[in-house]
Amino acid sequence: MTQPAPRVAGDTHVGKVRTANEDSMIVEPALGLYVVLDGMGGANAGDVASQTARDALRELVVQQRMHKEPKQLLEAAIQGACAAVNAAAQADRTRHGMGTTVVACLQVDPQRVVIAHVGDSRCYLLRGQRLQSLTRDHTIVEELVDRGLLTAEEAERHPYKNVLSRNLGAKPETRVDVLDLELKQGDRLLLCSDGLYGYASAEAIQYLVGSGDPPEQVARDLIDLALRGGGGDNVSVIVLEGPPLAASSTQVVRTSGAVAWWGRRQRFLQIARERGLTQNPICRGLSPDEALDVVALSLCEAIYHDLEKSTGVNVWTFAQNLAGGWFERNGEWSALRELVDILAMSARMVVDEIRGTDASLGFLLDVAVSRALVVAELAIGGLLADRLRAVDADLIRLHGAMQETIEAELAPEDTGSKFIDTPTIPFLRADRPVTSSGISAELVGGIEKTLTIARARTAPRATLVRDILAALESIACDDSGNFAQAVLSARELYGVRPVDDAGIMPLFDALDQARIITCASVHQISASDLLRAKVLRAISAAHQRLVGAMTGLVLEAVAPISDRLREAQQQTSELRDQVARAERKRAELERKFASTIDQSQPWDKRGTTEW
Amino acid sequence: MSTATPLTVAYDGLRPKILQRLLDLRSTLDPSLGRLDEPTARAQISAVLDHVGNFLTTGDLGLHRAFLHTFLAMRAAEAQGPAAVLAMLVAIGDTAAQVAQEEAATTSSGAELALMLTRVTASTARALNDLIADELERRLAQWGELAQRERRGAPPS
Repeated sequence: MTQPAPRVAGDTHVGKVRTANEDSMIVEPALGLYVVLDGMGGANAGDVASQTARDALRELVVQQRMHKEPKQLLEAAIQGACAAVNAAAQADRTRHGMGTTVVACLQVDPQRVVIAHVGDSRCYLLRGQRLQSLTRDHTIVEELVDRGLLTAEEAERHPYKNVLSRNLGAKPETRVDVLDLELKQGDRLLLCSDGLYGYASAEAIQYLVGSGDPPEQVARDLIDLALRGGGGDNVSVIVLEGPPLAASSTQVVRTSGAVAWWGRRQRFLQIARERGLTQNPICRGLSPDEALDVVALSLCEAIYHDLEKSTGVNVWTFAQNLAGGWFERNGEWSALRELVDILAMSARMVVDEIRGTDASLGFLLDVAVSRALVVAELAIGGLLADRLRAVDADLIRLHGAMQETIEAELAPEDTGSKFIDTPTIPFLRADRPVTSSGISAELVGGIEKTLTIARARTAPRATLVRDILAALESIACDDSGNFAQAVLSARELYGVRPVDDAGIMPLFDALDQARIITCASVHQISASDLLRAKVLRAISAAHQRLVGAMTGLVLEAVAPISDRLREAQQQTSELRDQVARAERKRAELERKFASTIDQSQPWDKRGTTEW
Repeated sequence: MSTATPLTVAYDGLRPKILQRLLDLRSTLDPSLGRLDEPTARAQISAVLDHVGNFLTTGDLGLHRAFLHTFLAMRAAEAQGPAAVLAMLVAIGDTAAQVAQEEAATTSSGAELALMLTRVTASTARALNDLIADELERRLAQWGELAQRERRGAPPS
């Protein structure tokens, strides 16, 4: 079984001060070899040292990797590199004293690495969001600390804190520190030169390495961090990821789930065909194969793409197109419901079959496909609601048009034919006072029925709406024909309304809600259309009166404030007049002043101004 | 139903967490819920969660439909359109399923509960669409009748 390639990335930068980059790197996943080298020495010898060591180290690993254990292999390769640099320095007097640091990582398998280093290039391990250094700098000061001759604080301020005690090239051989490390899921390794940690805080480095971003991004961000910190040295970084964390359910669905779903598309089409998709009225005019292709395969593809990207946009678009097109053709809802049910059932059967072969994958797919079906229903629901709104608007328009007809029909009632619609003897009811002939018992009954239904449709907590419905009933059933009942009801409603931060807007909102509910309830009473229209008219008139009375109360309440505002406006106006008069006078004086000066005379002999 | 009991128990155990999550997210779920004070919002969301629990136990589609009918009417009385009601119920179902899925790592029935809650949400969306379609059909019939009369110029009966 082949191991997946590790996720690794390296980056290097000359920095903001140096003119040449003396760092070198090896990033070779095929060898499992990752190395950072930081060269030093005058006359451009630093880059020669790091490159010589790099080439020698790589060559030795390639040559000896089949014959040595990883730990010995890496140590031997570094010793070989040291000898090569030393030999090169000895061969050229101008390069005498050149050397390089090295930090190297040899990946044995996804769970195991060997780390080796000489000098002050470092290796960090990020584990559980905590960054720790795996290497100890080979500097004189660090060795003094190790021997207990300096404290850590003294070392930090020591003038020789950057002087290396070991490097590759100063001598033919050096001591190499080697570490065998087992990697855990989610671990990350960082190899870097001192150009990084010398110019960036440990917290910032930890934050970036632990960000979860891809290694390429982290490497770039670390270089940027060092440059923002001054960039006083060459900077090189390598970021290596350990074994990945177990895939989340979302990732499983995105990869294996999407592939499994798409692999079963023919089965999905077959089930859809067996369940009668091709006979559905929506598919009329299409051959069975076309129907399956246009409808079933499109949904299958939409679900596949949505699974891949953890989104719902493709299924949403599919459902909108399907339902939108059908509604535009005035198609019946039952056909659409049947088609969607066939598709949903087919999808569930396919998922059940996947569950049979891979229970955990099938389970996750079941959740994902169920969500896709919810998205489809949401899209269709939006279209249905839009259509409902449009039909409601049309109904209101039609009712408005018919209102004129009713007006014409009601007109003769006022001119003498009262015996037709109005009882000669006033209608008596036990539970209310005698109504006059202006409002029929039938209409009162209609209003009562409507408002009873409206009250049943009102939420129990909407007490204000209920109060308004009661007010509307008393106003609509009042035959006096004046505003008295409306004003009384408005005062009552306004009086019980607590004055709070919300002001009077909730009251007007409730008035609006009461109107909507009553208008909807009129359609539910069992009565002739004429009576319904009369009820609607009576309640609308009552509503208008109540709103009018309420507005009057509000205006009355703000009247004192309005008076004060008017007074202030009056005062402002008077002050403006005074300012204007003063301005005119000033202009007049300026003109007068100009005319008393003889322009032909020199400046000092033009005379004085007489005011 | 033999499988209902463990799921219901798991659901009841998760209910406080689901309720709290919904209360925290209520402004994004539904603007009218966001405007309510916490006790009132708690009562409204609890009503939906109660019903989801009942549906998980009984699987009674008739009761489910009746609840949705009432819920739709109540929200209509508060000037909420059917699309907003649908979006809100789906959001509540999704949040509940998400909480259950988060618990799947620690409880044995969490994953199964997440699936069941997703299916309940799908049933809810389907039933609600049927209710909206019924209402639409009724009004279209009414509209057709009125339009025909208007064309004929006849007074309403």
